[in-house]
This record gives sequence, structure tokens and C-alpha cells, in this order.
Amino acid sequence: MAAVTIDDLSFSYPGAPAATLAGLNLQIASGEAHALLGGSGAGKTTLLNLLSGLLKPTAGALSLGGRDLAQLAPGDRGVAQVFQFPVLYDSLSVLDNLTMPLRARGVGARERRAQADVVARQLAFADLGFGALDRVRPATLSLYQKQLLAVGKALLTPDLALLLLDEPLTAVEPSLKWRLRQTLKAVQADRGVTMVYVTHDQTEALTFADRVSVMRDGKILQSAAPSALYDAPEHTWVGHFIGSPGLNLIDAELVGDVLVREDWRWPLPAAEHFGLSGGWLPGSVQLGFRPEWARVQLGPTAEDAAVLRGAIASQALQGLDADGEFGLTEVRLPEPVRVRGPLSGEPGALAGLVLSRFVLFREQQRIASIEAPSC
Amino acid sequence: MPSPSLIIDTLTLAPKPESTAVWPKKIECSTGSVTVILGRNHSGKTALCRLLAGLPTAATAAVSVGGQSMAGLRPAQRPVAMVQQAFVNYPHWTVAENLASPLRARGVPAAQRAERASAIAESLGLAGLLTRLPEQLSGGQQQRLAIGRALAKDARVLVLDEPFVNLDYKLREGLEQELLALARQQGLVLVYASSDPREAFALADQLVLLDAHCLLQVGAPAQVYREPVSHRAAQLLSEQDLNALGGGHWLRPEHLSLEVPATHSFSTTLVVHGLETNGSQTFLHGARAEHPEEPLWHARLDGMPAMAVGDAVPLHARSCDVLDFSDR
Repeated sequence: MAAVTIDDLSFSYPGAPAATLAGLNLQIASGEAHALLGGSGAGKTTLLNLLSGLLKPTAGALSLGGRDLAQLAPGDRGVAQVFQFPVLYDSLSVLDNLTMPLRARGVGARERRAQADVVARQLAFADLGFGALDRVRPATLSLYQKQLLAVGKALLTPDLALLLLDEPLTAVEPSLKWRLRQTLKAVQADRGVTMVYVTHDQTEALTFADRVSVMRDGKILQSAAPSALYDAPEHTWVGHFIGSPGLNLIDAELVGDVLVREDWRWPLPAAEHFGLSGGWLPGSVQLGFRPEWARVQLGPTAEDAAVLRGAIASQALQGLDADGEFGLTEVRLPEPVRVRGPLSGEPGALAGLVLSRFVLFREQQRIASIEAPSC
Repeated sequence: MPSPSLIIDTLTLAPKPESTAVWPKKIECSTGSVTVILGRNHSGKTALCRLLAGLPTAATAAVSVGGQSMAGLRPAQRPVAMVQQAFVNYPHWTVAENLASPLRARGVPAAQRAERASAIAESLGLAGLLTRLPEQLSGGQQQRLAIGRALAKDARVLVLDEPFVNLDYKLREGLEQELLALARQQGLVLVYASSDPREAFALADQLVLLDAHCLLQVGAPAQVYREPVSHRAAQLLSEQDLNALGGGHWLRPEHLSLEVPATHSFSTTLVVHGLETNGSQTFLHGARAEHPEEPLWHARLDGMPAMAVGDAVPLHARSCDVLDFSDR
């Protein structure tokens, strides 16, 4: 298997006013499950098509296992692609569909059958009631089975080094998605295939991938493990896009070593702790916090400079636990922010917010992650 | 509380409903509030929506809006507007012309039409797009436009049949909040059909549970969650299947926890078959170590706990969270 190196890659469609991809850099380790996550128009599928050879870069380089992809025809790259909707031939049996890449290479019938049986076992075809592989035709299979078959066919690409998946679960019923994802993950670990998985769904990306690249407007905003994307987003958009609901963002000013927002004050540790030499730069910043990083305080708050003041706008129940109802409370500061925890108080009631941690952004880029001093 | 503005009485959703149980038959919706009709596909949601809009349907009821009976009124005569799942806009008309179309149908003069259209566009974040055609809009903007056309009808009741089901989850979250604000500010009665419990809890002041063309339960979200009338009602409120304890006893996925509760509790061990996370919450799908042959159990855990497929994870629940439907 092989590592992927993307070096200063750009791509523009002829005549388009702006580049679809602009100066991308990314390393994907051999055997890594990597997800490209973003909304429509982010450039995810374009990047996938550049890797498979359907498109040619405008500038920059792509390599796979140390080989420059520009020098290789699409058929010689060892790259297979699975699309949103399975591409299969109804006139052929499941077995012949599965082994089509081997037949194209002139592999004999006995060897084809042996390799097909290995893949069928790894993808647990038998448990899913596929029946006899050489007799059943794709038309009789469910969409879930068909998509698994398309994955199996891709896995049988000779010299497979990289498997590309373009929103492979779009057409699969929601309650079955996790099973297909789990099967993909198991087979990925088993065969050591490097996989790149395109999706607009955060659950999909965070669940499937070792690392996720969050894309927007043809750029990669952050590539990191799922927990790092959640806890320490490098860009405000990453914070917004990951999490449900996303990161809350409010404005504040840096004055000396103190964060200030109206009568709210938060003394910061020395900037050197965060690798910022020369101290905190004064000026506008944004403060980002996850819904569970804040706690709602009801009633008139005393002159406490550590409490953000606002009013409850609405509440959404998510369940009941030992403390009673819990869910999401929307508080207006006046900017709307959402807090996860016990539900109390009524819409309109004054509410204070106490933060346990937050991320500090300047011009949308993260400058520090701050934890409340434990007391 | 304002008095109910929409009343749906003696409701039947199909000529021969599959169950003969006794259900509530009256739904009351107040001005400025959101009623979510929660049910699976083919449960009767669309039938109820069409009934309110005055479109042909198998459902029947005595419907009144603001005290006025809707009996015999055609769709155009009702103070009810409906937005469907598919974005229905006029493809050859601009955003402004689409927004003004219900006013044109009523013979409102051009100047007034334009004024009203731009006010609606403003309230829905479409102000800069008045001269575009629908195909030049994003999916979210197209659905906002469809909602805008419904608003232009100056209806008192806005009925939305799974309006955001075709949109990305981030767009959905934003649009849900916009809809809530709209209902409150403009004093609309919002009736919103959905199959997603998360969406239902995010929006609803009142929940209406439908199953197999039967009205199962009507009430405030907390009350319905606390006291579901049946297993089927509880199941509708859960993203994953309820966990079966046998003998008509069930446990919700969110009531399984990694921590041992202080009060008298129930414990089990799940061998992980699969994990799904969105960062905020993680679903664990696993087989009970003691009963591996039973259907898989599901647990909803906070954050992203460190665990992998094959791990045996001890989980706990409070006994008082067990749902008991053994008598139903």
C-alpha cells in the first residue's frame, strides 16, 4: 500500500473565474483512512477526480507510494473509485461483476474465484444473504448489497494502492449506514488499503476516518484526528461545521492580558504559554465554545465578572436524566449561543453563562485554547 | 397562553386504520406556536398536511382556523399555506416574481406586490437575490423561496411537510432556527411534519405522534417523552431502536451510561459492533455479552469516548428509566 503526497496542488476549470482548488498540501499515510469533509462546492470531488486521473492538475504535484501520478495513465495508478450509486452490470453474475478488474488483466477463472471468495468473506456477503455468487445477478440485490459489491469490485483492482470513495452511503438507508461504514473500516484495516472518503456528513467523516480534512472554497482549513477537530478547531468554520450544533462564537476584545466583553472580564495566562512570543496582541478576537463547555446560571447574578449575561430564548428537550430534563438552551448574549445541559428557567428569564473552556480566534484562525482555572 | 387558533377535531387518517385503540382525536394549536407531526414514512403525516391545506386526501376532520370552519373551502380560500418536501418554485420567474405570485393571483396591484415581495425576501435572507432565477439559488435558498411564497399568501397557518429532508444537516439546523423565529414574530400557527426525533424536539411546542395512520399521542415534548403511551410512541421519539429487556420492558439508548448512577441501577456489558459519532455524541451499537443472540443494543454516549470494535463496555442505567409497557 502507499502514502499519498499532495504538493501545492491547484486546479481551475477552463474559463472559470476562480480556481476550484488553490495550493493544497496534504500527506496521507500508507494504510490511513482519510475523509474529505465539506459542503457542496468545497472541492472534495475535484480532489478525488485528480487522484483517480479523471482530471489533470493545473499546477502542483500528486504522488502515490513515491510515484509521480502525472507520469501514470489512470489505469496504471493502482487507484479504484466507488461512486455514490453503485456501477454494476445487470447482465453479469455477482461473481463476474466482482472479478471484472481481474478478468481485464487476464487472470484465470480459478484464481479469480479464489480472490472473489476472499473479498466476499471480508465483506461478509454470506451473512447478508447474497446467495451463490456465480448465479445471482445484481438486479436482485438491495442497494446496500449492491454498494458492498461495488466496494468488493474496487478491492479486486490489481495492484490496488488507493481506494477512493465518493459519498458511498448517500443511497443507503440511514439505519444501515453504520454497518456498511464498519465493514469498510474492518476491510480497510484488514487489507491495509489507503482510503480517501468524500462526504458532507460530519458523522460519516468522524466515524470512518483516522484523520479528516475539512474543506471550504477549494482550501483545506484543517487536517486532524476527529477529537482534535472537535476540541481545537484551527478555523472558526471548522468549529461551526463540526458538532451538532456547532461551535458558539462571540466577539471580545483583548486589552493587555485580559479578555473583555462589556462587563465580562477574563484574565489570560501569559501568552508565552501558547507559544506566542511578544505577549497578547491587543484588538478584536472571537471566542468559541462548544455547547457543553458552558453552564447556565439562573437568577440575578451578583457583580461577577466571570459570568456572561443574557436571557433564555428557547429550549429543546433531548432527554431526561438523574437531574431532570436536559437538552439545548438558546441564550441571547445578545448573539444567540446554545448550551447543552440541564433545562431550567423559562424563555425570557435572565441567564448567566459560565465557561469551563473556550478557543480564542483572531481573524478566524485559532490562537489559543483556554481552560478555566480549576477552583 | 393565546387561545387555540387551529383546531382539528374528530380526526381520522384512513378509512380503516390498522388499530382500533382509543386515541386522542382533537389537536389544538395556538398562534405563534410550532406543532410537529412526528411519524415514519406512510404513517399519515402527508394526509394530515393535505387535509389542512384542503387538498384531496383520505383523512377527515372538522378543521377550524380562528373559529372559522374550513368545511367546503377550497385551498385558495383557506388562510392556510403549504410547503412540500420538493422545492416547488416557478423555474422561469425570478425570486421577486415567485414571491409576488400569490399576490398577483389575488389581484394585488404591482407596486404593493413588489413592496411585499422585498419585505419577505428581507426576512428570509433573500434580499440580494431578487433578480435571480430559482436554478441560480442554492438548495437552502430555494427552500427559503418556497417558504417565502407561502408567507406571501398571508396565511395564518403554515403547513410544512418534511421541508428540509433534502438539505445538508448544517443548512437544516440554520433553517429550523429561522422558522422558529418566524412563527413567533409573525404569530403564525406552524404545523411541521417530520420523521426525525431530533428535529421534532428542536422545534416543537407540541408533538403529535402518528403511527400506521393512527394518532397515538398529543402533548408537550417533555410530557410525551416522560409518559409515552406505548412502545410505538416511545420508539418514535428515539433515533435508534429501543433496547428490549423482555416482558414489555424497554430502555432508551440515551439512558445507558458509562458511569454507575447513585440510585438503584441496572447494568449490562455491550460488545461493540459499531460506533458512530458527530463529536458531541456517540452511538454505540453492540451485542449484550450475556445475551449475544439477541438483537443488538444501542447506547447514546456523550462526547467521543475512547473505545473500539470488539471492546466489552460495561454500561449502566437507573431502574426508574426503564419503560414498562407490560400492561399494553
